[in-house]
Amino acid sequence: MNKLKNALWSARNAVKGFFGRIRDFLVDHKLGFLVNWPRWFKAVVYLSPAMILLGIFTFYPIVNAFRLVVYEGYNSADGSITGYTLFGNFINVITEDNFIIPSSHTQSSVMINTLVIVFVSVPLSMIIALLIATALNSIKPLKGFFQTVYFLPYVTNAITIGLVFAYMFRSGSAGLVNKMLGVFGVDPVIWVERGATYWKAMFVLILYGIWAALAFKIMVFLTSIQGIDKQYYQAAAIDGTPKSRIFSKITVPLISPMIFYILITSVIGAFKTYNSVIAIFGNTGTPAGATYTLKTIVFYIYDYLNNATPGNLSLAAASSIVLFAIILLLTLVQMQVGKKRVHY
Amino acid sequence: MEIRLENLTKVFTDKTGRETRAVDKLDIVIESGKLIALLGPSGCGKSTTLFMIAGLEKPTEGRIFFGDDEVTKLAPEKRGIGLVFQNYALYPHMTVYQNIMFPLENLKIKREEAIARVHEMANLVGIGELLERKPGQLSGGQQQRVAIARALVKKPRVLLLDEPLSNLDARLRLQMREEIKRIQRETGITTIFVTHDQEEAMSISDQMVVLNFGVKQQVDAPQEMYNHPDNLFVAKFLGNPPINVIQGEVKKGTLFADKKKIGVVKAADGEYPVGLRPEDFKVDPEGFEVDLKETFHIGRDTLIHFELNGTDVRALVDSDDVEIGAKKVKLSVKKNKIHLFDKESGSIVSHE
Repeated sequence: MNKLKNALWSARNAVKGFFGRIRDFLVDHKLGFLVNWPRWFKAVVYLSPAMILLGIFTFYPIVNAFRLVVYEGYNSADGSITGYTLFGNFINVITEDNFIIPSSHTQSSVMINTLVIVFVSVPLSMIIALLIATALNSIKPLKGFFQTVYFLPYVTNAITIGLVFAYMFRSGSAGLVNKMLGVFGVDPVIWVERGATYWKAMFVLILYGIWAALAFKIMVFLTSIQGIDKQYYQAAAIDGTPKSRIFSKITVPLISPMIFYILITSVIGAFKTYNSVIAIFGNTGTPAGATYTLKTIVFYIYDYLNNATPGNLSLAAASSIVLFAIILLLTLVQMQVGKKRVHY
Repeated sequence: MEIRLENLTKVFTDKTGRETRAVDKLDIVIESGKLIALLGPSGCGKSTTLFMIAGLEKPTEGRIFFGDDEVTKLAPEKRGIGLVFQNYALYPHMTVYQNIMFPLENLKIKREEAIARVHEMANLVGIGELLERKPGQLSGGQQQRVAIARALVKKPRVLLLDEPLSNLDARLRLQMREEIKRIQRETGITTIFVTHDQEEAMSISDQMVVLNFGVKQQVDAPQEMYNHPDNLFVAKFLGNPPINVIQGEVKKGTLFADKKKIGVVKAADGEYPVGLRPEDFKVDPEGFEVDLKETFHIGRDTLIHFELNGTDVRALVDSDDVEIGAKKVKLSVKKNKIHLFDKESGSIVSHE
């Protein structure tokens, strides 16, 4: 082993020496510019693969969205348009049935669905994740086991989880959840199938969202809790601080930067909900025969993309820009609030 | 309040099952109202002892008494202690005021009284005007004061300080030393502090406990311990520059080293390790002659190096007595300053 390490050491020196000689030779013959590149040039070379991919798949589509949104009657097949408009596509999208305003009393809109998911599932999953992380931190035996259990959803395919959820919440006494409820004498509930009410279906959707999001949050919170200096807890123990006060006065403030980061990314993530709707309710985005929809904004955007009527691409672009604006606004608000609430 | 440790032992067992006796059968009585230093090299078990007194570590064996109450199995918050951590452990997200108030919020006292106590403590430690700051905006010394105020605000029976000065720079350390001593005098609280710095321990404590490998070496007042070390370890640990240890031979009540007559001692004939403090030498025309290897004139004193019986010896003598450029000098050892130790055990044989 030692001999091998010695050989590697000398090999590295030999290689360095070889390149050094080439460099010296070039510099001596006034060809130094071939090897002495400016630092920024090297940086550009190293960054280029990522930049090219980001350019094609992120920056170009963003610019393109702003281009598409001013077209009228854009036909993606031949690239023809019938005219230009500044706000026409936005007005079309916003006034469209089911985007913001439900089309009739029994129906929901994609905006309402998305907001419900964001404002219910994000706070709940944050609180639950914090509590689980704190609990995990305080147990010693089986810690690794529980950490793995809670992390499993993160490495499991979202569609698979959704299908399992849909199966668990089947109607009648066939579904696992109904079976469990049956033990307590509760009659079978129709959760996600034909005849399910809006809030029951939404409940399953939110539960899915919370559960799927827990894994990452628990991991981040647990790591940051473990990073807190033990002496803070010892000091609190000497003062006889109750557990609930230790949690609210020490643990939470000390990991507040992490909580804030997770809050922002979770809100953005929840606005982009799409997988779970597809996985639980299928392509229709609603229980069979229901008069309401459970589609989200992103689902709605995909609907336009899949429907190749001229002009639809512009509508998809308009709705993505609306979504972008909402997320931007909310993030700015959170940043403002965070400045006051987040320590250090 | 008096603190008694009886047969206190802490054994740490690592993953491979190997045992480390961090604290070994410690029996110490700490008098009420005194400032006590737990002194020893790093890894000697002094912090572990402190944490066991605090209740943050469970002793493997032995008992701890506060006055007449046994507290060995009592939870930390029920012991009535204040603890200042080495890095202070101030809550970074709370202001100084909130930090000092924190322990009081768990007690059942009136709000007005709590506020009054916070101000009283803040003024006692001299940070009355910094209450609105966060710990990050304070200097090390100020943080230290906040930590002491936080520990004292509950009016604990015992104040424990874990290496309180190790995170401060040299000048602040001197200042905080005196501050700690003053605060302890004013409150009259029994205080135990841990340090590896013998000078620090000697300068402020009423009593010192020297530990090595978890074993008690000596408990005494600082100067008493310095003058009369119980064993070679204590002799070597105290003093800067350190004590010189040479090999000497006693013949009929006279100590010789390298055939030079060092002094008169009361000990049986034989060979002994001899401890001689650098400042206990003096220039004496009647004394033994040494060849000077190095001479450093440092103002009032002169530090001289010479060889005695094969050992390098440093001595601090009066500058007036050593001529600049002198090659040889005659020395003797001051009265009662020759420490003879047992060759095997290292424990003291005689101080002459």
